[in-house]
Amino acid sequence: MTTRLKRKLGELGVDTSSRKASENFCLIGTPLPPLEKSKDTGEFVPLWKQDVRDEKGRRRLHGAFTGGFSAGYFNTVGSKEGWAPATFTSSRNERAKKQAMRPEDFMDEEDIQDLKDSRTIVDTTEEMDFLGGTQAELLGKTADDDSAKDPITRALETSLLPTPKDSVGARILKRMGWRLGQGIGTRISLKERKIQDKLAYDATTGTKFSGSTLDIPDDDEEADKHTYARRDTPVLAVSRKDNSHGLGYVPGLGLNESLGKNVGAGSKGPKLAGGFGLGALNDADEDDLDVYDHDQRNSRQRLAYDHINGDDDDVVVVGGRAERSKPTVSRSSASAYFRDGRVVLSGFVLSDQPVAEDRWFPLPDIPANWKPDPGRVWETNNENVPPPAPVRDAQWKRSAISADQRGVLLGETPLQAVPRSVFDYMSEKDRERIKRIASGLKSLSTDTGTDARSAAPAPPPPPVSLAKVEPHVAQAALRGFQPFTRDPSKQVRYTTYLQSQANQDGSAPPLTRLPHQNVDEFQKELEDYAKAASLFKPMSGAMAGRFTSAAVIDHGPKIIEGLHTPSIAEIEAKEAQQRKEEEDRISPKAHAAKMGMYGPLTREKIVWRPSKLLCKRFGVKEPESDVVEEPVAGPSKTTPSFTHPEQGVPIPSAGKDVTTPVQRIDGPRDLANIGLGEDETQGQDTLSYERPSMDIFKAIFASDDEESDDEDPVEEDVPDPPVPATEKIGFTSAADILNDTPIDMSTLKPTFVPREGKSKKSGEKSKEKKDKKDKKKKEKKSVLVSFEMDEEGDAVEPKQPKDRPAKKKRNVENETNGGDDHAMWAAKESASKADPIPPSMSASVEPPPDPDLQSRQKGRKRAVDFM
Amino acid sequence: MAPSRGPQPLARTLHATLANHKGGVNVSRYSKGAAKYVLTGGQDRTVRLWNADSGTEIKTFAAHGYEVLSITVSQDNAKFASSGGDRSVFLWDVATGTTTRRLSGHMGKIYVVDFNEDSTVVASGSFDSSVRLWDLRSQNRAPIQILDEARDAVQTLHVGSTFIVTGSIDGHVRIYDLRMGELRSDFIGHPVGSVIPTQDSQTYLVATLDNHIRLMDSSTGKLLNDFTGHLNESYRTRACFGHAEASVVCGDENGQVWAWDLLDAKLMQPNPPPKTHQKIITWTEHHPSDTGEMLTASADGTVKIWRHPQNTAS
Repeated sequence: MTTRLKRKLGELGVDTSSRKASENFCLIGTPLPPLEKSKDTGEFVPLWKQDVRDEKGRRRLHGAFTGGFSAGYFNTVGSKEGWAPATFTSSRNERAKKQAMRPEDFMDEEDIQDLKDSRTIVDTTEEMDFLGGTQAELLGKTADDDSAKDPITRALETSLLPTPKDSVGARILKRMGWRLGQGIGTRISLKERKIQDKLAYDATTGTKFSGSTLDIPDDDEEADKHTYARRDTPVLAVSRKDNSHGLGYVPGLGLNESLGKNVGAGSKGPKLAGGFGLGALNDADEDDLDVYDHDQRNSRQRLAYDHINGDDDDVVVVGGRAERSKPTVSRSSASAYFRDGRVVLSGFVLSDQPVAEDRWFPLPDIPANWKPDPGRVWETNNENVPPPAPVRDAQWKRSAISADQRGVLLGETPLQAVPRSVFDYMSEKDRERIKRIASGLKSLSTDTGTDARSAAPAPPPPPVSLAKVEPHVAQAALRGFQPFTRDPSKQVRYTTYLQSQANQDGSAPPLTRLPHQNVDEFQKELEDYAKAASLFKPMSGAMAGRFTSAAVIDHGPKIIEGLHTPSIAEIEAKEAQQRKEEEDRISPKAHAAKMGMYGPLTREKIVWRPSKLLCKRFGVKEPESDVVEEPVAGPSKTTPSFTHPEQGVPIPSAGKDVTTPVQRIDGPRDLANIGLGEDETQGQDTLSYERPSMDIFKAIFASDDEESDDEDPVEEDVPDPPVPATEKIGFTSAADILNDTPIDMSTLKPTFVPREGKSKKSGEKSKEKKDKKDKKKKEKKSVLVSFEMDEEGDAVEPKQPKDRPAKKKRNVENETNGGDDHAMWAAKESASKADPIPPSMSASVEPPPDPDLQSRQKGRKRAVDFM
Repeated sequence: MAPSRGPQPLARTLHATLANHKGGVNVSRYSKGAAKYVLTGGQDRTVRLWNADSGTEIKTFAAHGYEVLSITVSQDNAKFASSGGDRSVFLWDVATGTTTRRLSGHMGKIYVVDFNEDSTVVASGSFDSSVRLWDLRSQNRAPIQILDEARDAVQTLHVGSTFIVTGSIDGHVRIYDLRMGELRSDFIGHPVGSVIPTQDSQTYLVATLDNHIRLMDSSTGKLLNDFTGHLNESYRTRACFGHAEASVVCGDENGQVWAWDLLDAKLMQPNPPPKTHQKIITWTEHHPSDTGEMLTASADGTVKIWRHPQNTAS
């Protein structure tokens, strides 16, 4: 900014130091590229340079023409030559080589790494290896153990035994020489081993162990030379007790069996068929099992042969070793005799105490009319009912009686046990609340249920069992939604019922049956009410505090009780309101259309601007947008009617005609004037400045004769174009056309005018406006002298010969005015806007010069003028 | 406007039936000039060209994917435009039977298309309540201008020499005057089915879905005549002028063709008119020059050409 301008701005009160005033929008030159190639990821990279790389920097995605996804080998298709037809190769010879593809074959390193990571240690508790060592160890061992084991056993071992898996401990032990089945510890002598064998017992049953003792005779001379492995300590394998029987109880055993003798003890194993060749140490084979064992359960003693009055001594008892171990007992009992001389059965002892005498009672007196009815006895007596099958665990577990209940039945003092349920952790109040809710629900359901059932089979007795509703439910229902608002009488009965249910102390009268109602109906009604109450009660108790209802409960329309008939006034008011609402909705236009009064009421006229191209295509000149505001300014183009409107209007002060450029205030925005701010004409003069047309020069320099010669053809031209237009459109009435008032031929100047009347009035108006505008315009010294043709060239401006001198004068003035060609600019401006100048305005009047203004005009243009 | 001798009686003798359409016929237009040919468009997505005199089909134009709702023929008869459910205006070359252009931009089905006088602009009125004016001279794909004053679907429009008349479901007839730069909208009050201005553009005939056909003064918007008697409540049926604009002709939803005297709005004989179509008559059009020929298109799939007995015989 120059200092002068700054100063001037300062005078005007513009802060020159503000950023706004000194803002610079210019950018000169192109910015240098950044010094170093930054690694900015957000940096713009052209599309063809963008590529995707994995973390190792390999290119992952390629274009479709370079092989798509990771084509490898220079991104070709696998060969330098590119695509080549595959040759057929038989896979016949390679079949054996072919391996089944595993998923791993298709994975790359990362995938395999992922797979490895995802693998967890599968099993930390491995099974025992029965053969010692792992498979690999075993394989290694085979080489040196060949002598120890013959190949067949090895083969058997490997095939039969499960794959060896050893715990670490077992492996260590094996390394130290331990073998499966041996005890742990230092090796012992035969003697010690024998003692151990004797002491051995079965861990599960607590009886003497009978299996796998070392059967080396004591007198074996070789025996002492060796040490023996210790006897294996039996592992106490406690079988899981998964039933609820008492200890020692065997389900399905009778009393004798369970109490009489502990026969089952010691010999749980399969009963072996008696016979020779089976030693006690012999293991039972499948064939040795006694197939006749089953039905002799009671007689634990079996005879090897039929025994008829044979000697007791000769009885050969075949059985387990347990029986054989106590022969003395049986012998003592065998010697006892009953009093009648019979031998007491072995295993039984004679009782010392005499059998107690049975007490006998006298028969009751049988009534005389009593008749024996065995059938009844048969039916009622429980004894005759086949005893129920032994209850299985699951069954009696499921029986309804709980342990506590059973305890109560038995009169046990209840244990102060740990709390069993959620309720035990709840506060007393909460528990009560829940109980109340539960009871409410239960009672309701049972009530209605029983009622329904009782009502169904037969007509119930006259005293109707009221459908009960819990008091708190009833109270809640009273407060809640009222379901029968539509039926006031029913509503009343409903509330009565609820009230009666709510205070059950009898303070509220119970609902009574209506006289015409029969019992069934009444019953039904009550049930309905009970149901409604349970349905429409607000959420009670525990839940109520936790939820809020989303919507306002609809209480139904306001009911006016009794036989309410709205008064006439009310009805009228309502109707009037309705009518008013309707009328509000219907616009006067619609109303008129409804009445058939088409015309001005139904017609709306608005300005519509057809686009320029459309006008061109239709062969129509573009109408002026400011027809409405400036009717005089643009009539020549818009209206087809062709008339001589302003003959009567005297041309004001012939020498001093004033023409002001009519400023288009609110023309449409188009691309051309975007960015020019509010003032559309800003900068237009500079932009549209061009050499003034010859007319001006002619007007200035040519003689009058020449002018008139020029004029004539123009005037003749004028009427031609609009005439067919009027014919085409015909929207203007003929009366408007050719308004033939006396014409002063000297002032005759045809113009286009939109409508009758309007033109004159608006002409005057515009004149006033112009006068007002004069002052403003003068600042720009915009004196309008223009004979510029429209760019279309077919709207010929009429010219007024009379104005010539004035114009000339003015132009001369302009010339003399320091060569200031603003006038020319302004003239051009108006011309470019295609505002035709009405004849009366075509000459301008120089107003009395304002000294102040003039001084300003002479000086430089101020900054304000630009702003 | 009306000739002094009074309206000619309506041609009521069946001359030819054009029945190749598979579904209802929505539109049928005479060609320009001597109007020897008829173009029909129907629900079966085809436009068919017929010889009106012999009643034979000449050509089928099949490119539409939806029903054809409107056809307009250019002045030189070399091309025509059609529109329908496709939401685009198809411009056809008659000789080759191919579409030369498809103008898309509407958001709904296009009910009506019309060329201007020299076929440089085609106007299309659509369900999306806009009228689009497409330039056919340039290759510009965007419409020249969109007239979106209508508040509901534009059912009918007519492009005159210097104005465009549109009729919309919102009950308005809008006259866009290009010369005046003015939009005059007349509220009829009922959905407008068809609007046809008279040759002199002083009046226009508007058929609305309240069983009325009205003759309105286009300069003032006043009602000049009201024609009633027919049934037209739910479908677009086109009303047209009879020969020399001396009468008003309209088909109705019962399949009858009604005719009124333009001046006194009296029903012409026979009254009531005979039932000529099985279903609603969607289109009536009087031959542009011939006194005694008109055609009716109906939803029953036929287009019928009517002539006076003596013309038929010849």
